[in-house]
Amino acid sequence: MPGGGVARRPLHFIVMADCSGSMKGEKMQALNYALRSMLPHLVDWERDQLQAQLLIRILAFASAPNWYVPDPVPVAELSARWRNLEYVPMGRTNMGPAFRAVAEILAPDRLERRALRPAILLITDGLPTDPPGGFEAGLTDLLSTAAGRSALRLAVAIGRDASSEPLDRFRSQDVPVLVADGTDEIADRLVTASIAVSRMSEIGVNREALAEQLLQAGRRRGSDPAASDRGAIRFDDTIL
Amino acid sequence: MTMPADQADRPAGWLVLTASERGAAHVAVRTPNQDSVAVEPADAGGVVTAVADGHGHSRHLRSARGSRFAVSIGCQVGQEFVGKLPARGAAGPTPGRPDDEWGTGAEVDLDAASHIAKLAGDFLVPTIVARWREAVLADVAADPFTDAEQDRRRRGDDPTIAYGSTLLLCTALDQWLVLAQIGDGDVVGVRSDGTATLPVPVDPQLDGLVTTSLCGQDAVDDFRIAVVDTTRTPLLAALLATDGYGNAQVVEEWPSSFSKDLAVLLRERDMQWLASQLPVWTARCASADGSADDTTVALLISPAGQSARPLMPPSSSGAAGSVQQDSGSDEITIPAVIRTDTVPSGYVPAELGVSNSGAIEPTADEVEAERSGAAQIEAGQMEQQQVEAERLGPQAFSCEDSPAEREPLPPSPWSGER
Repeated sequence: MPGGGVARRPLHFIVMADCSGSMKGEKMQALNYALRSMLPHLVDWERDQLQAQLLIRILAFASAPNWYVPDPVPVAELSARWRNLEYVPMGRTNMGPAFRAVAEILAPDRLERRALRPAILLITDGLPTDPPGGFEAGLTDLLSTAAGRSALRLAVAIGRDASSEPLDRFRSQDVPVLVADGTDEIADRLVTASIAVSRMSEIGVNREALAEQLLQAGRRRGSDPAASDRGAIRFDDTIL
Repeated sequence: MTMPADQADRPAGWLVLTASERGAAHVAVRTPNQDSVAVEPADAGGVVTAVADGHGHSRHLRSARGSRFAVSIGCQVGQEFVGKLPARGAAGPTPGRPDDEWGTGAEVDLDAASHIAKLAGDFLVPTIVARWREAVLADVAADPFTDAEQDRRRRGDDPTIAYGSTLLLCTALDQWLVLAQIGDGDVVGVRSDGTATLPVPVDPQLDGLVTTSLCGQDAVDDFRIAVVDTTRTPLLAALLATDGYGNAQVVEEWPSSFSKDLAVLLRERDMQWLASQLPVWTARCASADGSADDTTVALLISPAGQSARPLMPPSSSGAAGSVQQDSGSDEITIPAVIRTDTVPSGYVPAELGVSNSGAIEPTADEVEAERSGAAQIEAGQMEQQQVEAERLGPQAFSCEDSPAEREPLPPSPWSGER
């Protein structure tokens, strides 16, 4: 075949994980467990749908961002070779530089021409501690990229106090912040987030109804409203 | 495909090969192939080719029909447009003469190209848009939206939005290749030296998520037009493809590698082989190993491309129409009925269901798929179906991907070391 062969379209999923000092102990254990639990759901979804190759990167952030998985890794490979994140002692929760780091990898010259709209999952247990204007500047950098703007942006707040106005500004407007009231709920919220990645990739889906389903799913252990509709990425191209 | 012997020796016009495949994702959810393709001869040995991609969003619930209207009307208006082009040897209007008189003599071809582009902008594009809208509104009048279809429409949508489609149109006459495109998809010219040219201007509005469309409010303005003078830019071939093709390509700058490879193939293979392979390549793009999207291509091969000869003696040869297996090839093809429209000048094949309108009629399977999809809309839900390697049409083949053609998994930098 002329041209060099074919492949599925890449779907980049970027996890921004809060590794600040407050994540010490049980929270970090729960986060690692939750991430480890989320990955098999994504592996199953990737296998069952027909369009995307799911590639994951993980950014650990505290006072500064650090790419824990810097290059896109197939989800099955990451799931098989997971190594736990660690918290940063005395680390702060500076989100602005983290947003900027993600913006860099979503620049037009860094993404494949045929990549699907990416997904970004932000998990945090607290409010941003950026210097004045730092959070806004970083978020602006992220949203100034076409991919960042069109990305499905999800936020999981560990603890009610973390569900804040900054997270509302980060998330995609049609997807609620998912709140884990306790460490035992983090895994559920991340599974819900993985469902959102698969379902919300459809442009034109009834997002309000789906968002409500996702919220309800997050409140019921083990539910999966998307189980009956795997392979749900469709070609919902539409007009300007 | 039958090729007249004199055509094989001395091609007089462009040869057009087409292929269209329903995407694997569409098969899975039982939606029809929303792409369309049509080829029609035009005056004086010209040919008109049209490719269209109906939008996939649920609000464009009749986009398969919309794309069929698009290629049919595109070809019809394209034929009229070709009739208005300057005759061979006429370079364009003479200064001082009325615009409707074409002069002869030492006119600068650049003037001719400009005037052809103007004609495309003043006649070809607006006429296509107007007739497409008329056809759609007539269809709505004859077949009003059902209640279930109304539920899927977005409030306030013009009726034509349900039929939304892109269109890639090419008219070829003598030295002139005129291209008009609205929406996504690719037009690639293959130069004689194997390099690629992308003659149609890029539309910055297209970001892969949304597209311009025949149903758009600014459809006439959203068209992009290009005029190629093949005496200045000799071409071996030109490819028109819906975005299912480009979105499947691993290589980022795939037009360049495509052109380079195709130039070699044109020199080393005959047209029969190429006609048999085009559906294979299309199917691969439409499969779950590619974009899984409907994929449609039209490959226009110039007289020069048809006459291209190998730089080295060919390694094998066979009688036209026989099964050939290149010992160096990983592909085994068993051409049965070749699903192509081929148009040597003045010849229109009758066996592929080309209607008077110029559009390829949907196969019974596609009609059933659309009917089935409509029935499921009525039922209020789309069932998830097990993926089938469903093919439309009678062609049978087996094809093994060369391992080298699969995208290698990126080496993992994450080895557990921080």
